[in-house]
Amino acid sequence: MGPSQSDSTSSLAKSRVPMPNAFCIEHLSFTYHSYVQKQCESLFENLSLQIEEGSKTLLLAPFDKGKTTMAKIMCGVCPKYFPGTLEGTIRVFGTDLATLEPWQLLSICSYVSQNPQEQFIANSVEEELAFPLESLGLGREEMRSRIDRALQHWGLDRLRTSSEQELSGGERKRVLLAVTEAIDARFWILDEAFDDLDQRWRDQLKEMIDKGNKTVLVLASRYLAEFDGLFDQVLLLDDKKVVSLPQQQLLSRFSQLCQDDLANPLASQVCTPPEVRQLVCTDLVAERRRMSTLEEASFKVQVPHFTLQSGELVTLVGPNGSGKSSFSRILCGLDGYLSGSIKFDGTSLSGKELSKKVGYLFQNPDLQIFLPTVNDELSWSLRRRRDLKQEEIRRRVAACADLFGLSLSDTPATMSYPLRKALQAAVYYLLDRPFYILDELDSALTYHTALSIIRDLRQNGAGILLITHDRQFAKRVQQRTYSIEKGRLCEL
Amino acid sequence: MTINTFVAGKGLLYRFDPRAKLLTVMLLCIWFFLPVSLVGLYTVVGLLVLVGAINTGFSHIAKTFLSILPMLLFMVLFMPFNVRDGESLITIGSFTLITAEGLEQAVRLAGRFIGITYACTLLFATTVMQEVMLALRAFHLPYKAGLVVTLAFTYIPFIAESFSQIAESHSLREAESDQGKRIIQRLKDLVPTLTSALVFALRSIPNLAMSLELRGFGSEQKRSSFKDLSSYRHPYTHTLLSCIMLVVFWVLFRVQ
Repeated sequence: MGPSQSDSTSSLAKSRVPMPNAFCIEHLSFTYHSYVQKQCESLFENLSLQIEEGSKTLLLAPFDKGKTTMAKIMCGVCPKYFPGTLEGTIRVFGTDLATLEPWQLLSICSYVSQNPQEQFIANSVEEELAFPLESLGLGREEMRSRIDRALQHWGLDRLRTSSEQELSGGERKRVLLAVTEAIDARFWILDEAFDDLDQRWRDQLKEMIDKGNKTVLVLASRYLAEFDGLFDQVLLLDDKKVVSLPQQQLLSRFSQLCQDDLANPLASQVCTPPEVRQLVCTDLVAERRRMSTLEEASFKVQVPHFTLQSGELVTLVGPNGSGKSSFSRILCGLDGYLSGSIKFDGTSLSGKELSKKVGYLFQNPDLQIFLPTVNDELSWSLRRRRDLKQEEIRRRVAACADLFGLSLSDTPATMSYPLRKALQAAVYYLLDRPFYILDELDSALTYHTALSIIRDLRQNGAGILLITHDRQFAKRVQQRTYSIEKGRLCEL
Repeated sequence: MTINTFVAGKGLLYRFDPRAKLLTVMLLCIWFFLPVSLVGLYTVVGLLVLVGAINTGFSHIAKTFLSILPMLLFMVLFMPFNVRDGESLITIGSFTLITAEGLEQAVRLAGRFIGITYACTLLFATTVMQEVMLALRAFHLPYKAGLVVTLAFTYIPFIAESFSQIAESHSLREAESDQGKRIIQRLKDLVPTLTSALVFALRSIPNLAMSLELRGFGSEQKRSSFKDLSSYRHPYTHTLLSCIMLVVFWVLFRVQ
């Protein structure tokens, strides 16, 4: 949190000449349609929000309080594609949004999604930028100039022929920001746009928001240091409404809602592993190649020395595309390597064997949970073990659900994101791996939730490698830090 | 939500006009169903594999073959039992298990399947999707229909990629005692993997629709085009070459 910001932003807002509203939302209520018997709870009730043209607004909201839904409603795609009951009026630059189709908003409003993967529609970075410009009917020269400028600005020039699946999370986010820059719409909605970006690109985005002449709405579920002094108004989504409070009071309330005011769950944890296990990588070299581009030389991951012990909590930091995920995939046995060794307690292991020692929690929990109920999910691995009786499985599953705050009869597909993330962690907790890799665990959770998950996974003495971009989060957890840049890993 | 099927390269196929390539693929798909000899069919398949290996690399060709192998095996193993006519090759008592005609049809079917797979794969591996779209439009396919075709060809591999990601994550969830598990268990494990891939794909549909509309798809305004096919200077020569080649194959390999 950055409570040092004082009230400079509100005084700035007061000194500005009032401008016409870019967005005016009045008495908005929204409830998602339910696909199960249980009725969905409404997300917004009688919510009103005004955003002046040319202003920079930060809307803070704890996870799963409707931040992304709000962005989708403002873009006209919800409830069109995400069914629900919507009431109230929304005016965009004076026009009733209900009379507009999403494609009519192309030159008016740009949206950068929290999850970049869901927005990719083309097959290469260059085509991704070209698609909306073609929709605008721009001439070829104009398109080329906008595309070249945006790609250079976001450091994507060498990746112009790369496809989405060959990009890292941060590179994907930069592509979406480059698309937004190329379209040059009047109003930008940036949903957690700072997430996934390393410091260089966060600074660049901050500068763009600050110096640009666009109306910008940033939606965030964490108050980042980069937000200090950047916005004309900071608002909070609280109790289904948008509230405006003096800055200190607002941040304090937000902190309370996110439970960040609670003690660090790791602070009081004493981790005493029953036996000390060690994972050691020596002189590891692996090679990755982007299939869709000729210009790019193959990417090398080089790890001269890496160790992780039971009970340790180690962070791995590095810029976008530096090889963090590539290294993680090698470490848990999903990908192979050219030379060097990975040893578990002094013994070299094959990829298959490694995958039984190192648990890898993907950034996207939906790729790792797949069964109809929480009970099915948690007992899936245990039921495959011949050494466990039904009663013991039931006992372990119930205890684990209790620890992670899960209800055994819940359906994962309809659970909130933090609960799905907790379920993903609970599944691995039951597997009782000696080591875990947590990929950007904090990117969609409150600090408190993320720290609680780490605490629970460490209960049995597991060693944890945590990948994160968030310096504030890293500071709260790190014991040792490794850094990776251009594929080369070293200890800081 | 889409996957690039393009494999960067500098071979001859990359310089071949996309319109001619598209036409060749369509004609080849017809050619494989003409009454040609088995030797002729497999010669053309062999040529396709060779051209593919030269242009996109052997590993890409091998990967393509491995991806169709389960379906290919399924077809080849069960086809002979379905055809009861012709000279019997294997009999159990008075019951004819496999006939020569059944075996011939299975081999022919496999050849056609491999040939069509490689023809389509090579088109998408050596042509960027925007050029495939321009080629489709050159044949007067409306823009929206062209987009549907190109999206389908990138969305299907996306689902396949999601499937392999989910399979990977499931393999990470296996218990230690799962090592060396039996084939029955592996087949059983396919069910939850397929289910989650399907759920994942279904959940991505509204996102794809949302993203397309937010990027201007649906607008009545005339779209411009960032790319054109003017860098390909010999469309007619390439088309003619393709047609001649297919006619020669027909003359050489047709059943007399």
